[in-house]
Amino acid sequence: MKKTTKFNKSTYASITLVALLTGMLMVFQFRATSSIARGIPTDRVQELTIEKKQVERDLANLVEEADDLAAKLEEAGKGRTEAAVVLESELTKVKLYAGLTQMVGPGVEVVLDNPPGATGHGSSPGLFNVRDEDLLKVINDLRGAGAEVIAVNDQRILATSEVRLAGNHININLARLSPPYKIHAIGNAGVLKSSLEIRGGLVEYLSANGIIINVQTSDSIIVPAYTGGLRFDYSKHALR
Amino acid sequence: MWLGLFLGILGLAVGAAIGLNLPLMLPHAYAKYLSVAALAALDSVFGGIRAAMEEHFDNSIFLSGFFSNALLAAGLAFIGERLGIDLYLAAVVAFGVRLFHNLAIIRRHLLKKR
Repeated sequence: MKKTTKFNKSTYASITLVALLTGMLMVFQFRATSSIARGIPTDRVQELTIEKKQVERDLANLVEEADDLAAKLEEAGKGRTEAAVVLESELTKVKLYAGLTQMVGPGVEVVLDNPPGATGHGSSPGLFNVRDEDLLKVINDLRGAGAEVIAVNDQRILATSEVRLAGNHININLARLSPPYKIHAIGNAGVLKSSLEIRGGLVEYLSANGIIINVQTSDSIIVPAYTGGLRFDYSKHALR
Repeated sequence: MWLGLFLGILGLAVGAAIGLNLPLMLPHAYAKYLSVAALAALDSVFGGIRAAMEEHFDNSIFLSGFFSNALLAAGLAFIGERLGIDLYLAAVVAFGVRLFHNLAIIRRHLLKKR
């Protein structure tokens, strides 16, 4: 054994340095260990890795399932579009009832015109001019004969349509119409025509009044759609 | 001798204080290496105390042993991690055994003095 114990300054320095470093090392280690989430064992990492893989596999399965369900949802959506088609056809039907679609079919065209040279002067209508009652009578007669849709000078006659004399004109659906008045009606053409031309009927009556009236049947009478707005400012749907 | 002991304890306290107050945080991945390095350092310190008691303390051997042991232990753990071998266990066992051995010798020296 060598007796080399010389406690000089460098020895003390080295001892201090080593002690300093050891202290730091241990404290670092202590801090690092205590911060590892209250000490997660290294085995736990492996465990968690396995669990993660399992969860990832589950995720893949679930994604597949989600795709499957999305496809099913799409199919269900197709079912919904079927419902939409039904609704649309219902809507078309309702529009039909409301007179919001142009109609075509067999029927009659009735032309009423003032007698020549009988035009009233100024704003007063002539005595033998076509009056609103004449038009109303024709429309009423046509309806009685089973006309499905009626239009006068391309103004569709609705349940709310007015036929009103206004000076030299007749207002229908707030539109000013002037003679000649062409009434288009779709229905059984023969029945419509004969109901007007029956002995003692409207044609005879109006002709006797001096009005020029002409009834013609056609295979394709076009009745336009109602173009005005439907207003329900005061009436409300009553729920029962 | 007693001045050395005093300086050692003082250094340890100061080092601990510095370590506690440093805002530096060691990543968890390096905790394993640091633990082995700390073990090696501790072993070196006890080896130094033992050498001092056997009165053949050599400053250069002490210093070089401290650093080389710590670095070697950490490096061994690192390489072991890369190779998939738990080499840090070898360091822990080796330094642990040496630590207890040194402690035993120090104990005997202390008892013999009485």
